[in-house]
Amino acid sequence: MSGGVDSSVAAALLVRAGHDVVGVTMKLFHDGGETPDRPCCSLDSVNDARRVAESLGIPHYVLNLQDAFGRDVLQEFVAEYAAGRTPIPCVRCNTFTKFRDLLHTADRIEAPFIATGHYARVADGRLLRGVDDQKDQTYFLWGIERAVLDRMLLPVGAMTKAETREMARELGLLTAEKAESQEICFVPDGDYVKVLERELPADAPALVPGPIVTLDGTVVGTHDGFARYTVGQRRGLPGGHNEPLFVVALRPEDRAVVVGPRDALLGRGLVARGVNWLVGEVPGVGTPLRVRIRHRAALVPGTLLRVEGDEVEVALDTPVQAITPGQSVVFYDGDVVLGGGVIERGKRALPVRAA
Amino acid sequence: MSRDPIYLDHAATTPVRSEVFEAMAPFFGPRFGNPSSTHRWGREARAALDEARERVAQCLGAAPDEVCFTSGGTEGDNLAVLGGWRILKAQGKKAVVTSPIEHKAVLQAVHQAAKEGAEERLLRVDATGTVALDDARAKLTPGDLALCSVMWINNETGVIQPIAELAELTKAAGAVFHTDAVQAFGKVEVDARKIPFDFVAVSGHKIGAPKGIGAFFIRRGTALEPLFFGGSQDRGRRPGTENVASAVGLARAMELAIAEREAHWRELEALRNELQAAIVAKIPDATIHGRDAKRAPHILNVSVPGTDSESLLMALDLQGIAASSGSACQSGSVTPSHVLSAMGVRAELANAAIRMSLGSLSTPADVARVAEVFPSLVAKARGLASVG
Repeated sequence: MSGGVDSSVAAALLVRAGHDVVGVTMKLFHDGGETPDRPCCSLDSVNDARRVAESLGIPHYVLNLQDAFGRDVLQEFVAEYAAGRTPIPCVRCNTFTKFRDLLHTADRIEAPFIATGHYARVADGRLLRGVDDQKDQTYFLWGIERAVLDRMLLPVGAMTKAETREMARELGLLTAEKAESQEICFVPDGDYVKVLERELPADAPALVPGPIVTLDGTVVGTHDGFARYTVGQRRGLPGGHNEPLFVVALRPEDRAVVVGPRDALLGRGLVARGVNWLVGEVPGVGTPLRVRIRHRAALVPGTLLRVEGDEVEVALDTPVQAITPGQSVVFYDGDVVLGGGVIERGKRALPVRAA
Repeated sequence: MSRDPIYLDHAATTPVRSEVFEAMAPFFGPRFGNPSSTHRWGREARAALDEARERVAQCLGAAPDEVCFTSGGTEGDNLAVLGGWRILKAQGKKAVVTSPIEHKAVLQAVHQAAKEGAEERLLRVDATGTVALDDARAKLTPGDLALCSVMWINNETGVIQPIAELAELTKAAGAVFHTDAVQAFGKVEVDARKIPFDFVAVSGHKIGAPKGIGAFFIRRGTALEPLFFGGSQDRGRRPGTENVASAVGLARAMELAIAEREAHWRELEALRNELQAAIVAKIPDATIHGRDAKRAPHILNVSVPGTDSESLLMALDLQGIAASSGSACQSGSVTPSHVLSAMGVRAELANAAIRMSLGSLSTPADVARVAEVFPSLVAKARGLASVG
C-alpha cells in the first residue's frame, strides 16, 4: 500500500470480498529531507496507507526494504545511466523488491497471495493487460518470475482508473482524490540527474563534458555529460541546423552524444537481453508478436527472429521512433503478456532472419 | 483473532493506572484553574501543583525546588544535555561524554551540543551491554570535561548501568552528571541523597501516568539554561502553563511505583525468567542480549539466527502478540539497533532482535502462550530460510 488511491482500493476490494488482508507499505529509500506529496516512502504516504488500513480494519506494517532496493534498483539505475543507457527502475522494483522480497515476507506470515494496485490482470496463470488501456502497467511487470503469477492478486486491473476513483469515493477512502503519480519515486522533482550527481563521483565520464556529433562524425557542439541525455531528446541540443536535431545514440566510449534528424530515430528492429517469459511455451523463431518499446507507446506488430538463451532479436513490421537501450521491450499476444526484456540496441534497417 | 491479545511492549508505554486517572479527573473538571492566576481557581491549581511537586521530590529523595515538570523523557534529556552544556561551554569546558547505547534523545542532543562546539566522547560498552568502567575512568578526568550522560537502564536490553560509579567519577572530575532514568524509575532506587547525579529525567507514561508528562531533577547549585523562553513557571527553567492534571497523575504514579517496586521486580523477574527459560529450552541457539549483565526484570531481548525482526514482529502481531524490535523509526519501519551494534552483536543477529517487555498487564498465562507461539513462529521462519 503506497498510500495512493489504487492500492487503497485494491485493499478495500479484497476486504470486501472476505479475504484476510494485511496491509504493507514498503520503505524503499531515505532521501534525507522528507518531501511531501511523493508517490511513496514519504511520511505522508505511509500515514495515508496506515489510515486507510485502519479504516478498513486491517493490520498495517511498514517494511524496511531500503538495503535491497538500493542494491537491486537504485545502484542499477545509476550504473545504467553511467553506461549511456536509459533504465526503468520500476521494472526492477517489481521484479526484485515487490514480487520477490516482499513475497518472502508474505511467506513468513503465511500469506498465500500478494496483492497490489497495478493495472494488470492475472487469469489462468497468465498476465493480461489491464482493462484500462490508458493505465495498463504490464509494461513494468514483465520481469517477475512466472511462478509468482499464481500468487498475485490485482484487484484494480479489471477496472478503469475512473472506476477506481469512483470506488474510492464510494468507500469513503481518504486517498480518493489523491493526485496521480507518474514520476520515479526516488527521483526528486523528476530530475534524475540530481540522483546521478549524488551517487556518482563528480568526475564520472557520464557527467563531464563531451562532444555532440552528427551521424557522419562532425562535431557540432559540446554537452556537459551524456547521462543528461536520452535517445529521442531534442532539448539541450545546438540549433541553427536545417532540420531539428534529436539524440539518436549515446556513445560512452568517447562520451559522445550522437545527433541526427527525426528520420534517424526510426528503427525497424531490436535486440533485447535478460528476456523473461511469462508463458509456459517460449515462443519460437518466426512467431508474430505485438511489441511495446516504451510505456504508453503504441503496440506494433513484429516477429521473433532469433532466440538465444535470454537474448532475442525482433523485426518490427512498422518503423518505430527512438528505440532506447535500457528501456524495456514487452511482447504481447492480444491481451496476454508473453514476456519482455531490456533493449540492448535498436536496428535502423529491417533485420533479416539468420539462415 | 480468537484469543485475547498479549501486550509485551511495556518498555514502549503502559496504560494509565486507574488510581492515576482518578487522581487527575478533578483537574479536567472543576479544578481547571491556571496555577499562575491569583484568584481562587488559580490558588486551587497552584496548591495541587505544589503538592504534586513535593510528592515527586519525595519520590526522588529531592527538595521540591529541585524538581521541574517536563513533557517527558526526551525533554528532560534535552534540558540536561543542552541546558547543561550551554552553561558549561561559557565556563570554557569542552567535552561531553556519553555512551553509544543511549536513547536517541540523549544521542541527538549530544550531537547538537557537538554542533555548538562540544567535543563528543563515547564510553566503551562491553559485550554484556554494560558501560566499561575502566574506559570511564580514563575518560572522566578533570580538565575540559563538561558533562557526562549515561542512562540508568537500557531500554533495549534492560542492562543496568553503573550509575553510582559513573556519577562519582564525573563529580570527582568536577563535571556535571545526567542520567536518563526513564526505564529505571520504579525498577531501581532513584535517590538523590544516595547518588550524586546532577540531573535525572523520568517519564510518566512508562509507569502508568499519561504520555506528555515527565519529572526532571536539577540538583541545587547546578546551573541550567532553559530550552524554552516565556513566563516564570518552574522558576523559568520550564516556561509554559503547567500541566496540572498530569503533574498530579505523575506524583500518584511515582508513589505507587515506589511502594510496589520490590514486589513488582520479583513478579516480573519470575515471569521473565520463565519466558527466557522456555525460549532457550526450545531454541537452544537463541541469544539473550544482556544475559550476562545485571539486568532489570522487565526486558527480554532475544535474537534467533535465521530470522529477522521485521517479519517475526509481523507474525507475532498477527497472532495477537505485541512486541518490538527495540528502536523503531518514525515511519514505523524497523531499523538495526545501535545498542546491539555497540555491544558488538553482528548485524545478522542484531537484525533478528525481538524485545519483549513485561509489566502491569503481564500474566503467567501470557508467558505460557508466548512460550508456545514464539518458538513455533521461529521454526516456521527458519524452515523458510533454509528453503529459500
